[in-house]
Amino acid sequence: MREPSQWVPMISRARQGDQGERERWLQQMRVSRLPGLIAGQVKWAEVARREDVAKRSLFIKILYNGKEVSRTDSRSLNTDFRVHFGQIFNLKIVNCPQSINLQVFEELGSSCSLLTQVFVPVPEPSVLTGSVLLEEFEFSSNQRVMFDHEGVGSDVPLSFEPDGSNKQTLLTSGKLSCCVSWGIGEDDVPLAPPVSQQPAGIHSGLGRLDAVTSIGASGLYDMKKIGEWATQSRLDPNDPKNASIMQLLKVARSGEVTAPDYFRLEQLQEEFNFVTDEELEGSKRFRLLRLRNQEVAEFRSYKCVPGLEREVSDKVFQEYEKRLKDGEIIDTKEHLDSHRALVAKYLQKIRESVINRFLLAKHHYLLSDLVIEEEIPSIGILGINLFKLAESKRPLKPQRKERKKVTAQNLSDGDIRLLVNIIRAYDIPVRRPHSNKPGQSTPSVIQGNDWLIGQVQVRPFVEVSFQRTVLQTTTADGPNPCWNEELQLPFSAPNGDYSIASLQSAKDEVFISIFDELVYETGVSDKDGGKSIHTRAEKHWLGSVKIPFSTIYSQSRIDGTFKVNTPSVLLGYSKERSHGTNGGYDMRSLSEGAFITVFITIEPQLVPGEPIREKFDSQEDEHLLQASERFERDAAQRYPDRPVITTVIDLNGKTVFITRYIRPLNPPQELLDAFPNNPQEATALVARFVSLIPSLPDRVSFSGVCDLWSTCDQFLTLLAGDEEEHAVLLCNYFLSMGKKTWLIIGTAIPEGPTAYVLTYEQSRYLIWNPSSGQYYGQYDTFCPLQTVGCLVNADNVWLNVQQYTAPMRISFDTTKANLWKPFFSRSFSHPGLSSVQQGELVYRRTDRAAAAELQDRIEKILKEKIMEWRPRQPTRWNRYCTTTLKQFLPKLELSGGRDVAEGHRHELQSLLGDNRIAGFPLHLPFSEIRPIVEAVHSTGVHNIQASNVEFALAVYVHPYPNNVLSVWVYLASLVRT
Amino acid sequence: MAELHVIGQIVGASGFPQNSLFCKWGVHTGGAWRLLSGLKEGQTQVDVPQTGDMAFWSHPIDLHYATKGIQGWPKVHLQVWHQDSFGRCQLFGYGYCHVPSSPGHHRVRCVTWRPLGSWQEQLAQTFVGGGAQLRSPELVYSGADRYRLHTEAMGTVELELGVIMRHFDKYGVES
Repeated sequence: MREPSQWVPMISRARQGDQGERERWLQQMRVSRLPGLIAGQVKWAEVARREDVAKRSLFIKILYNGKEVSRTDSRSLNTDFRVHFGQIFNLKIVNCPQSINLQVFEELGSSCSLLTQVFVPVPEPSVLTGSVLLEEFEFSSNQRVMFDHEGVGSDVPLSFEPDGSNKQTLLTSGKLSCCVSWGIGEDDVPLAPPVSQQPAGIHSGLGRLDAVTSIGASGLYDMKKIGEWATQSRLDPNDPKNASIMQLLKVARSGEVTAPDYFRLEQLQEEFNFVTDEELEGSKRFRLLRLRNQEVAEFRSYKCVPGLEREVSDKVFQEYEKRLKDGEIIDTKEHLDSHRALVAKYLQKIRESVINRFLLAKHHYLLSDLVIEEEIPSIGILGINLFKLAESKRPLKPQRKERKKVTAQNLSDGDIRLLVNIIRAYDIPVRRPHSNKPGQSTPSVIQGNDWLIGQVQVRPFVEVSFQRTVLQTTTADGPNPCWNEELQLPFSAPNGDYSIASLQSAKDEVFISIFDELVYETGVSDKDGGKSIHTRAEKHWLGSVKIPFSTIYSQSRIDGTFKVNTPSVLLGYSKERSHGTNGGYDMRSLSEGAFITVFITIEPQLVPGEPIREKFDSQEDEHLLQASERFERDAAQRYPDRPVITTVIDLNGKTVFITRYIRPLNPPQELLDAFPNNPQEATALVARFVSLIPSLPDRVSFSGVCDLWSTCDQFLTLLAGDEEEHAVLLCNYFLSMGKKTWLIIGTAIPEGPTAYVLTYEQSRYLIWNPSSGQYYGQYDTFCPLQTVGCLVNADNVWLNVQQYTAPMRISFDTTKANLWKPFFSRSFSHPGLSSVQQGELVYRRTDRAAAAELQDRIEKILKEKIMEWRPRQPTRWNRYCTTTLKQFLPKLELSGGRDVAEGHRHELQSLLGDNRIAGFPLHLPFSEIRPIVEAVHSTGVHNIQASNVEFALAVYVHPYPNNVLSVWVYLASLVRT
Repeated sequence: MAELHVIGQIVGASGFPQNSLFCKWGVHTGGAWRLLSGLKEGQTQVDVPQTGDMAFWSHPIDLHYATKGIQGWPKVHLQVWHQDSFGRCQLFGYGYCHVPSSPGHHRVRCVTWRPLGSWQEQLAQTFVGGGAQLRSPELVYSGADRYRLHTEAMGTVELELGVIMRHFDKYGVES
């Protein structure tokens, strides 16, 4: 039988030991046991139990540093459940004490079994023989023991109640009393090791000691104390040696272990340090070097890091630290509009996560990325080259030759120039004969012919401004001038960094503005006998084209004829083409406005970044993905110049099939209500609404070549996206308005690969430019869309397999399989893809108060800027004119900039009869203040030198639903005549 | 705050049973060292020598460290791999060497070894290639016990290292 037994101390005494380093013990134990159940009541069963108890005996093994050094005699249990040993063991030790372990064994006949073991702490050096008290150590064992007699055993449920209820489980447990102390030598010197060698304190560093003994934490059997000690002693929670103690603490304190965030991997490091950590981390020079190495934007191109600490000024980090701090603070000043500030922040976050995802993909190189290998010319190329020998040396129509490409990395400031070749322009607005009296419009028409011969119609020149470098061509004559001039503008990359990623994210824009040069005679002086005429040249802005640098970089060249953005009202100029019809059929009569033909390229030719070759994970069917890959590969092989997209990457970096983006979506109800009876006008208004959402190319925002498609609700929340997002939104609006609509994937000038929208109404096809809101007929010569690669709608994707790609030379009838190759056909049917778009778009109401506030702020900023650009002259504002202009702007917005110009001009002239007015309204979608300031600057109105000039500036912000804002800036200069 | 520049190259390897070799390398330092600039690990190209036994990589190493102590002096650890004509890679050797502790130009020869498997594994290795690899390559440069490890000597990797030290004398380290 085994009873729940109890170990009770009887004697404990430490005595003097022998010579040398020695430890001495006295150990005396008494084992008692509970009185038997109730003696006498049970007869033979109790007898059997007592016999069994008498057979069993206990002894204790003493292990020092894990090795058995001694053992007690074997004693049997007394009737009071005690075992008394009363033995003292003297140990002479030569090794540092690590552990003292007492193992309690039970002996039955010749077999013995381990009951439990008790760890006894190594005594502190001050604990000496004679001065120490017995300590009790509780122990228990969870071994299951069962008997066939009365003994209760261990880990067996038993009940003291007669009905067997209230069961209890008793375990073998008990107390061991003993004491451990250091002996005292003959000369009364303690035989404990010296304190210096004693592993005490946290700087032990001898490494071989276990954590508990190394700090002298003897007697710490209290869990709380251990916990305290663990925090105090900076116990390394990550050291495998300490795993058990950390586990113990975790269990004991129900999981709340405060793991310190520091630990020492290397001992004795601190003692040998040259300098402290703070000093090392605080070194400005080292910080600069490390930031440069991490390619932090501010320091990436920092060429010279000073050799001495004191030469690094604190100013270097100011900007960087400010940026880090500003991460949380939204700069409302820059954005003027709290919603856009939030969006900009959100966009920043998406950008960071996307960039991180692409970083890995960027490091996957192919052989061709690293090794330039000239291809071996085939026989065909050889033949063509032979043929070329027979060509004339100076052909009548010279062709541009391909240049060698230069990798961007070995460039520096001044190496890159932008070549802008201005060739010609068409239909530039001509000067209106200056008439002081508004009532005399009829005589001026009569004078027309006479005036035509005698007067200059217009003397236009082109000014190209890029990164605040301004160059201009010579002045030509007439509304259809031909310049054929090349302008070279230097380019410097942001932060002097010419890597591909940095060039792609350059936000600079090339402004190509057409001006009219007016020359006034200011006086004739008659000095020195000769007559000298003083003239003053004035330039009037007529229109401009802006092309982002990122487009030029990714296209490597831009060649074509663009529509010049001319203001809807141009005071002093008329757009009527009164004398262009004298010869034959004129194609240009189909379109309105001025056009300019330019060729832009970068010298030397830079290698544009390549799209990332990375397969993104997808939730699409594997079958579908394979089919789309095959479709795209086939198309690229047979029609290499036709862009084909079947799968796109969404904002989460997942591949999505393109047709999922097309779904009828409701445009804002206010837009539809504006023209309830005129669907044509409503369509134009919807297109205008879409075009008012600012454009932001993905390659600028994500500084890498990746084209991410956001869904329409994401796009409307972000209020920024590139052509694809505009096109998808417009396409979805048109679908919900009941039009037959497709998405065109093709190339256009100047944007390159892009997406347009095609509608079929009244038996003709219209091509919509989603980012400008304009539409073109299929046979419009000046349609910016150059090639059509494929058409997409909600059900299918069609590849253009016709001979030509220009929209005017192809048929848009997708039902003909020999013209359009469908993706889903009878052999591979549409699997019923659900849309990624939300079912219905919810729009925020227009906020007129916010728009009015924004309007005032823009006006204030622009006025300040104009005064800032005119540091030498006083800038006077004509309030009278400003109010007139202000009243006029809402009318312009309502009419979309048409049909009101004439009336307005008369009105203005009647008001300000004796002033020469030059002015125009500018129209921009609102994203932030910088583009507006840039656009105003590029018109050069502030450059007028006349002394009696006055200015008028009016700003109007028209709110559309969902915080889309249309900004009108009317700028005029008045010169009193 | 002493600084240490290590400039040099992994020149090549010789004495290996095959000679289409590449090398993975890394520099390990103690906690007192901060890498200011440079790459501290990398992999060379596969060199297939046409003549001779030696494979040349000429792989540049350019590191700039700052340190607050001399413990954990940088060591270069190397793994030499063999790529066969089928594109399969097989470990040919581990080795490490300390960056020389005196300034100047040094030619360092780093000998390599590879773990030996049981006799069955060795037999398999002679026929199909492959072989035992270390579970944790840290063992190559850490002082952990290796007494159960049986290894086989492989070839030698040659390094050229230029060492520039700065401000070590300020802290009593003579160079």
